[in-house]
Amino acid sequence: MIFSIWRQRLTRFDRKLVAALALLVLSSFLLPLQQAAGSRLVVSSGDNILFVAPLNQDQQFELSGPLGSTKLQISNGAVRVLSSPCPQKICIGMGKVSRNGELLACVPNRLVIRIEGKSTDRESGYDLLSR
Amino acid sequence: MFGRPQLVFLLLLLVAGLAWLRLPGDEQRVRTALIMGTLVEIRLAGDPQQFNPAIDAAFAEMSRVEKLFSSQLAESDVSQLSFSTEPFQVTEESAALLQRGRQIARQSDGAFDMSLGALKQLWGVETENPQVPSAEQLQQALAGVGPEALQIEGRTVSKSNPHLQIDLGGIAKGYAVDRALEILRRAGVTSAAVNAGGDIGLLGSREDGKPWRIGIQHPRKQDELLTTLILTDRAVVTSGDYERFFEKDGVRYHHIFDPRSGYPARDCQSVTVVAADVASADALATAAFVLGPQQGLQLLEQLPQVEGLLVAADGTLHRTSGLAALEP
Amino acid sequence: MTCSAVNSAELEQVRRRVFLALFIALAVALHTFEALLPNPLPWFRIGLANILALTALYIYGLRALWIVSLARILVGSLILGTLFSPGFLLSLSGGLLATLLMSLGYRLWQPKIGPVGVSVLGALGHVSGQLLIAWLLIIRHPSIWMLLPFFLLFALISGMVNGLAADLLIKFLLGHPAFLRLRNLAGGNYS
Repeated sequence: MIFSIWRQRLTRFDRKLVAALALLVLSSFLLPLQQAAGSRLVVSSGDNILFVAPLNQDQQFELSGPLGSTKLQISNGAVRVLSSPCPQKICIGMGKVSRNGELLACVPNRLVIRIEGKSTDRESGYDLLSR
Repeated sequence: MFGRPQLVFLLLLLVAGLAWLRLPGDEQRVRTALIMGTLVEIRLAGDPQQFNPAIDAAFAEMSRVEKLFSSQLAESDVSQLSFSTEPFQVTEESAALLQRGRQIARQSDGAFDMSLGALKQLWGVETENPQVPSAEQLQQALAGVGPEALQIEGRTVSKSNPHLQIDLGGIAKGYAVDRALEILRRAGVTSAAVNAGGDIGLLGSREDGKPWRIGIQHPRKQDELLTTLILTDRAVVTSGDYERFFEKDGVRYHHIFDPRSGYPARDCQSVTVVAADVASADALATAAFVLGPQQGLQLLEQLPQVEGLLVAADGTLHRTSGLAALEP
Repeated sequence: MTCSAVNSAELEQVRRRVFLALFIALAVALHTFEALLPNPLPWFRIGLANILALTALYIYGLRALWIVSLARILVGSLILGTLFSPGFLLSLSGGLLATLLMSLGYRLWQPKIGPVGVSVLGALGHVSGQLLIAWLLIIRHPSIWMLLPFFLLFALISGMVNGLAADLLIKFLLGHPAFLRLRNLAGGNYS
């Protein structure tokens, strides 16, 4: 019955239009999925999230902690600490991090920088890193 | 469609709900704190409103354990025991942990040792001014050290040598993670992971019912994994010479010492141990690291429910017989 | 007929006005009826009122479409007491975009396009317009666009249902003696 309605009540053009629009609608379901992908960087201090940024855009930024301002750099999908007001500069010595679950921390300046992975990482990669 | 303001409000709720679902590893579900000089990360599934108090309690418990066993705090059980020259009454909890530590010390022929406080201070690997001590200094620091250095009777602990300094570095962090997991379990959490600077304790499986996947760091290549372990309700600890070290005259001195020589153990690059609880895994990883690939493997092999992956100094991998079952 | 003295063009105009008023009244009734309908998914409205807008379009042309759509939104909101509320803004923006798209589709592809095609365009325009305004004015959160696919899918289905209903109504009305002249005007265009 639905088929006969389809044939009788819709013009030929209507059928094409509806099919095209249906395709458009279905493809729109894929849109948010794509947006969710991509690793990001989350900076927190204590329980507060200070900053979230995608890893695929090169940029530099400064974050302030109790000691002063810590400068971070994102380049080629990796994050590193450029400069820090802390005495030992261990955070700078920690180098670059880029993988899901990896951390940089500046303990004196109370900053924790964590990489959160793509959702697909959960299937192919790992949840936690033992090191 | 949006006929009434209530509907707009409902829409807001739906959007919030979707946003919450959409973000992987949502902020609420991973929380970090700085405890015991390392970064502690707790991740769990479920309603953050409900479980945030549980996470707070778990962090608080870890801080309590830190206060009990820290050698930096003068009032801790460990510090008081170190400074007392006579038999000392510790808390029941400390006595129990010392007992467990001593058992592993015996099992490993003294490779795991809780009486290396003086030695660790001497080297100062984790301080600003590390140094390579002289043979004489080492001899002094190692006096009386060994698995029988501590006699534990009930809550009374006596030291074979009054100058012996206690250091629970190889077991206290793991114990703190065990305690945190226990607190979470009691709060009704069924899926959680606690990671204290590489000491990982897992409660149940992931929130989607699949087992946790734990990546094991390659000791020499920072961007590589040795393997991935697939685990539920287990503890994983990796000890490596790359974690904390200093270099002097081109030689790398790291923080895991061989009680026989007083020098950093040289036979392994890293050891990963899987065990039922984090404290044991922590102590066994240290023990196996010191023993080296052959003897270390033997030690892990003979213990039930314990698996291990050892990387020898030459980079070769040594697996316990049951480890392959945990790999993908 | 009692009006035989009046010239037929004037009669046609009066008839047109009366029917447009009737369409608007019916559209408002459906609009109100739908708002009162208990609905498991509150913001999924079928948009039954659009049936009348489509009928007006196919019987009296583009201007009639705009008159029925706008009047329906204004009067309908007045009756529901949502005039100038956020809900009204959403309704208006949805209605405007829907009518715009319907006009465009009709203008570009008439006579190939039937009521179902126009209706589907309108329904998709309606949800898009609403979400756009909701995003601009109320919820400035990108995740609102994650709702769009679900809304679009529902709009596609409801648009087809409305289009079919409008198609039947237009057929019935054109068969009615009151529209005889119009049917003759339309000729083979609508069969």
